[in-house]
Amino acid sequence: MGRFWALFFIVTAVITFVVSWISPSMGWWFPTDGVAVFGMAQSTLGRKIDDLFYLILWIVSVTFVATNVALGYALWRGATIKPEEKVWFSHGSHSLEVIWTIVPSVILLFIALYQLDVWAAYRVRGFIKDSDGKPKQIVAVAEVTARQFEWRIRYPARGKTLKPIPQADDIYTVNELHVPTGDLVSITLRTDDVQHAFFVPELRVKQDAVPGKLIPVWFDTLVTKDYEMLCAELCGWGHYKMKAKLVAQSTEDFEAWKDKVSEEQFDDGYRKPAE
Amino acid sequence: MMFRVICPNSTSRTTRLSFQGVIVCGWALLSLGCGAGPQAEFKYREATDDLISDAERSVKSTLKDSFGTPNELVAWERFPINYGGIKGAVASAAGDKAVIVTLEGESEKIRNKTPILWLTGSVAGDKTPLVTVAGFNAETKQLTLAGVSELPNAGDRFVVGFGEDLQLGRHVYMKNCMHCHGVSGDGDGPTGQFLNPRPRDYRNGQFKFTATKSGEKATRDDLHRIVKYGIPGTYMPSFLLLGERETKVVVEYVRWLAIRGEFEKRLVAELSSDYSETSIADSVRKAEAAYAEKKKNKEEAEKPLSANKVAKAAASEFAKYSKEDLPAAIEETANLLTDAWTRAEEPDTVIVPSIHRVDDTAESRERGRLLYMSDKTKCYTCHGMTGRGDGAATEDFWPKPGTTEKFANRGLHDEWGNQLKPRNLTLGQYRGGRRPIDLFRRMYAGIKGTPMPAFGGTALKDNEIWDLVNFVMSLPYSSRQPSPAAGGNMAKLDEKPAH
Repeated sequence: MGRFWALFFIVTAVITFVVSWISPSMGWWFPTDGVAVFGMAQSTLGRKIDDLFYLILWIVSVTFVATNVALGYALWRGATIKPEEKVWFSHGSHSLEVIWTIVPSVILLFIALYQLDVWAAYRVRGFIKDSDGKPKQIVAVAEVTARQFEWRIRYPARGKTLKPIPQADDIYTVNELHVPTGDLVSITLRTDDVQHAFFVPELRVKQDAVPGKLIPVWFDTLVTKDYEMLCAELCGWGHYKMKAKLVAQSTEDFEAWKDKVSEEQFDDGYRKPAE
Repeated sequence: MMFRVICPNSTSRTTRLSFQGVIVCGWALLSLGCGAGPQAEFKYREATDDLISDAERSVKSTLKDSFGTPNELVAWERFPINYGGIKGAVASAAGDKAVIVTLEGESEKIRNKTPILWLTGSVAGDKTPLVTVAGFNAETKQLTLAGVSELPNAGDRFVVGFGEDLQLGRHVYMKNCMHCHGVSGDGDGPTGQFLNPRPRDYRNGQFKFTATKSGEKATRDDLHRIVKYGIPGTYMPSFLLLGERETKVVVEYVRWLAIRGEFEKRLVAELSSDYSETSIADSVRKAEAAYAEKKKNKEEAEKPLSANKVAKAAASEFAKYSKEDLPAAIEETANLLTDAWTRAEEPDTVIVPSIHRVDDTAESRERGRLLYMSDKTKCYTCHGMTGRGDGAATEDFWPKPGTTEKFANRGLHDEWGNQLKPRNLTLGQYRGGRRPIDLFRRMYAGIKGTPMPAFGGTALKDNEIWDLVNFVMSLPYSSRQPSPAAGGNMAKLDEKPAH
């Protein structure tokens, strides 16, 4: 019976490893479509977040393989031990305890320090540079208000900056957030009712919207296309309905789109009577 | 009258739908095994259930024959609903079982096994067996038929996949709308009761935010906008990503539900004064009271009929009525609805301002403010001196429409009986849309089913409405740019907008 369990755990570990190894090539990976590298984030910061993820994945993979090899060996050795052989007890080994305390601590400390830069870029400062090396300014594009169960979005008029309180010439849309591609854009995230979360999987941007708070979220988009924009916090029975579209478009298209929406929004309905 | 049963994956079935001696039949196609899932049912109005049993049965069977059930829809052709399907005509025969056809619209979408409905020619009629598509060549326009016993002649018109849009509309509706608006469109879905404001009950055939003149129905565009952009300030969310075809067909289904609901309402209203349990009980009670009164005064009086006898008399009277007058009543109701919903789509029904928006100047806003405070519009009585929707009218007890009985709660009510707050105009939140034309139309035609009256054409000229629009649209921002001319209460608009 001992050999069965030894084999069982060895095979389980091997299957887990193989499935994990092939999953990127099977498409069981991060969401993206239409890019050369499958599963690659579509924003500068998203790629940095991915790098961190891959670093941690490597660390845990090595750990996983090492511990499972050790586990398999111990189980097999225990199952096949001869009655006359003497057993070695590791319990209470001072040097082993020192090793498995210090090694993980060093790894954790390394991760904690190493990720600070990405964290700062995500929460504290801008992170992309212009072609001349100067850091790019963060542009406030819109105020995004989550409510049960939709996203209501307010933009400043063309050529104006976003003000905290609505202006008479503001532009409104619903479930469709437009941003200029390549710019470091920020949105002011708020909620009308309960807690929601702004989530654009392909950009790796996720931020809770908390009642009573105005939360700035900034990101850039590398590709001109439509992205999925979701609510990532179970907010009520209609949570699944909070699917929206983030449209990344060139600055000219963005401005032209603003003009179009503004014209529709200030339509006075007057039509010249037909002759 | 033409009814067509719509149902997918079905075998042929021919029925004659007869109604009290009048044959109101059509081709019935297709039933059997429509969709899986729980059986959905159209609910009837309380007033329908209150009818005496013969009348109730007769109304319910009329509804079932004319509109079907959620799983077996019936298309009543006279109504202006796009039931869907590809129309075409036979150009020439091409072999035993094939014809060359001309189609209206896109032709490559024809799938095999789609049923074909013949509108004209010798193959038309409810006696011919079901013909389906066995193949279609988009290039040569050759349509191969299955189940055909006699080839149609050149010029015969047909519809491939009749009712497909209504079915898809039902599917979209059941998935996205039903849990608030209910299977029958009565606003009483499982989540509906927890919402405030309540989801719309379509069965009055009335929608609040329309581009049409006072008393007219909603246009397809109105419903389309609402589905796409939602109604801010209510639980109606935006369905922007639903897809153009899905949005179109769900609007069609909602219009169909509204017609079904109003048809029931009007037909029952026709009957309930004479043939409802309540009215019969009332008349018995009245007769007995009168008899008792006369007896007390020692006058001579005839003993009134017993409740049983009155009920029997009503039943026999209804039997006569249903033969002689009911078909006409049904016809009249259907005509009225057809006309109303057809008229809604006509360009003349939509409100188009005769002049451009008056320039949004301080003078225009001031003229608007004076109108707001005037007795001509009485805006302030509901929307309040400060525009916050807290006018004196919200403190009164109002009578229920058509009665002297008053509502239990203070404040205004809509025609669905829900308590209603006049809009707070300082929030910058506009349920019917924030375009100037939207506000113009709200003031021109009122908000249907609510106490918001129509000013257009009568009380106010178009330029006056524009002044009012300019004033109202300035309210959310006026704390920061106070109108120097604004005096009195209106100067106190200092509330910060919510967003």
